[in-house]
This record gives sequence, structure tokens and C-alpha cells, in this order.
Amino acid sequence: MFKSNRLYGRAAGAAGAAVFALLAAAPIVGCAEKVDTSAEVAAGSSDFMVVMNRPNRLNLIDLKQRKVVNSCDLPGDYGPGTVAMSPDNRTAYVLTNRWENIYGVDVDTCEIRFSASQSQGDERVKSIASIAVSPDGKEVYTHQNPTRLLIDRFEVQEARIAVFDTSAGLDAKPVRTFPAPRQITIMAAGKDGTLYMGGRDIYAMNMQTGATTVALASQSRNDPAESLRDSLTVWPLGDVSNELVRMYSAAQFKDASQDLATANWVWGFERVDLATGAVETKVFGPLEVVLFSGMARPSDPNQFFGVLTQLQKFDVAAQKKVKSVDLEHSYYCINFATDGSEIYLAGTFNDIAVYDPDTLEKLGNIPLAAGDMSLANSRVFSRAL
Amino acid sequence: MKHLKPLNEKAHLIDQASRQAEVDEVVAMQSVAGCTATTDPGWEVDMFGGIAGLCQPMEADLYGCADPCWWPAQVPDLMVTFPDWAGEAPSAARDWRKLDAVYPEDDT
Repeated sequence: MFKSNRLYGRAAGAAGAAVFALLAAAPIVGCAEKVDTSAEVAAGSSDFMVVMNRPNRLNLIDLKQRKVVNSCDLPGDYGPGTVAMSPDNRTAYVLTNRWENIYGVDVDTCEIRFSASQSQGDERVKSIASIAVSPDGKEVYTHQNPTRLLIDRFEVQEARIAVFDTSAGLDAKPVRTFPAPRQITIMAAGKDGTLYMGGRDIYAMNMQTGATTVALASQSRNDPAESLRDSLTVWPLGDVSNELVRMYSAAQFKDASQDLATANWVWGFERVDLATGAVETKVFGPLEVVLFSGMARPSDPNQFFGVLTQLQKFDVAAQKKVKSVDLEHSYYCINFATDGSEIYLAGTFNDIAVYDPDTLEKLGNIPLAAGDMSLANSRVFSRAL
Repeated sequence: MKHLKPLNEKAHLIDQASRQAEVDEVVAMQSVAGCTATTDPGWEVDMFGGIAGLCQPMEADLYGCADPCWWPAQVPDLMVTFPDWAGEAPSAARDWRKLDAVYPEDDT
């Protein structure tokens, strides 16, 4: 997927056959596989990662031990495997079953405490990796792309945000919906409850009124010195720095002629500080290779890292690439230890690669049983086991 | 359209639309996934016109393309049209021999 960032105009189309996701109303408990629980880890906090992989498995990984400590097989089919964590990091809200269903899973016991089938009746609903949890953990949000599957035609409906009560149990229905911009692919909730949505711009929605504003202008910037920004992400990643972050590529023009042949091609990032709502956008380096996800090192925001087939390190202030290493295979999704001491590469196949952010030397692999992570995001947090 | 000459009715309509500046309604897609009709380079060539930017190996990217219906012409679409294509192949690198070609269903 997405081998290039999209520097050219494109048009969307909707097509496809009906897939109806049915959800059992009975309580569900996934298959728990406790692998390792050492007394040392149980005594204090440690960094953990939660990530999905095929066939439809939620993994809890102890990053200090570099081991999977629990895994839960979820109902339905895979995809995309986007996870958002509850504030106490005990419950993972997973978008899966071909981009349609939500499961709230206790990551320690595998009990499914919440579920919602977004498709209902003749309306098929897909959410493109857009799921977030309110800061108090009482609500989960999804961005819905509904299509009515009629006997003679499909009718694309307006996109919307759906709000679910996390205490509603199984087969939950939205308690509120709000009209929303289309093309939303990542979301995160701010400390004050504002929902930030990454699409053509980064939008902010008041979750009580549905009022939506542009928090950070991206494609609507209309800057004559810069081409239309191109941002690709289905990986909400910013927990370790409490941020919503995504990269973009753009051409910086030499003059008013806007000549692409002489322009500087750059990588930049756009971020929202989820504690304050402050937004920031900055160029961090030259566009030399394709990168899919990136983020700043938690302990040093001047160090920015991006990944796909290479792992690259940038000096943000100098807008320069500091170091680049070729990887054993492509990884879509970068993440960090909460103290910034290690880099974790996930997505594509079924191993997490661990790298040293100072030297970009490989430190190890964490294998996952079964299949590929594909587009799954990784969530890293610190808590007691 | 400077070097293209419309030959049939549909082409004339496209030409007319472009002259009416209606192309402004088509904008670059920001972060789109899901059954896209995309002319995005990437499966065969990367953004620079080469192959160095493609995922390595291609199996690493196979389900990343199939899951979101990103290039439904090149890779079977697991999101809606061919949901069971990879059901017996959870690991693309290990199980690729189980992945078969797909064909449109005959509705007649």
C-alpha cells in the first residue's frame, strides 16, 4: 500500500460488494495465552505495547522483556487492527472485522466488555483507522463512512462521528452522532475532551455540540511558497508524547513561478499537543526516501525519526538527515519507549524490531505468533502489569 | 488536454468539463484509504519513478494493500469484494503459495 506519498491529484470512487458484519449478543471471551509474568515486572511499572496481528489477535507485549505476555483472539475478520487505549491502559478498543466493528477488550483477561457493529440494516459503515477514546474513558469515538446498499444501487451517505458509551456493554449503539468532514484517517482526544481528526486538515470537534473547526490547516493552507501538502497516515501513534502527529511531504518553491523542477522537496510534521491543544507544523528534513510514519523522540523533540524501508533520523532545527539505515524489511509504524530509550518498528509482517535511537543499531526482534500486522498501529504506554 | 484529442462522446464531455475548470472540484486526496480509484504510482514504481522506494519485500506490503482496498486493480480487495482471499494465509511471507488469482463473479 501507499508506496508513494501522493504528489498528484486524484479522484476517489466507491465500489464494492456487501459485507455484513454480524455481532453475537452473547458475552464473548477471547482466547487468553499467558506466556510470562515475572515477579520483577509485576512489582512495578514497565513499558508495554498493544498491537494487533492476523488472524485477529490482540497482543500485549512487555517491552522490557521483549515478550508477548498475553494475546487475545477476537471474533470476526482482520482489519485494520487500529487500537485506542482506555486512560488506565487496561482496555483496548479495537477497530476490526474489515473496518466495521469495535471491541473493547481487557488486555489482561481477554474479556470483551464492549462491542459495536457499526453496519446496521442496509447501511454498511466503514471506519478508516479512526477510533479514539475520551480522556475520562467513558466514550469511544469513531469516524463513520456509511453507504446504503440498495437493491439497484449504492448510496454514499454523509460522513459522521459516532459516540459510543463504553459502559453500554455488547452490541452497543451510538448515543450521539455529528456530521464530520470526509477522509478522516486518524483521531485522538485532547485533555479537554476535544476530538482531533486528521484528514485534509486537522480538525477539532466539540464532542458535546459537534461544532467543528480547523485546528491546523494542511491542504487548505494556500501558501504560494509551498505545494499542496501530501499526508498519509492510518497510524495514530502519539501516546508517548501525548500528541497527534503525522508527517507530510511538500515542494518548497524557489520563486513565484512555482517550478516543481527546481523546488526543494521536504518532509514536515503536523502535530497537536493533546494536553494543551497547541498545534505545530515544521519541516524536519529533505524528502529523499519514502517514509510512512514518524515521530519525535520523547526525550528530545529535536530528534525526529521516520520509517518504511529505511529508518531515518533527522535534526529538526537543522532540517537535516542525521543518519539512515536499511531495514531487514519494510515496517509501516514507528514508536518509542516512554523514556525515548528504544525505537519500536511494527506493521507489515509479524515481528516488532527494536532499534537504538542514538546509533540506529538493531537491538532485537519481538516475534508475534501467527500472521501479519499489516496496517495495525502500535500503542506504547507505561503501567504495572 | 493540450496533446490529447477527444474522439468519442465521453471524451468530448471530459474535455468540455476540463475547459470549464470543473477539474477544480477534483483535489489531491489527503490520507484516503478504502476502495480508491487511484492513479497513484507505487505498486510498480515509487514516487521517484524507480523501485528503491517500494516496500521490501513485496510480501511485506501485500496485506497493507489488500486490507484497505488501496489498489483493487492490482491486489484483491479484502475490505469488501474478496474478503476471504487471504483467509488461509495469515502470513504473506510464509503462506503466499496459498494466495490465488481472483476473477470477477459472473452475474449472468
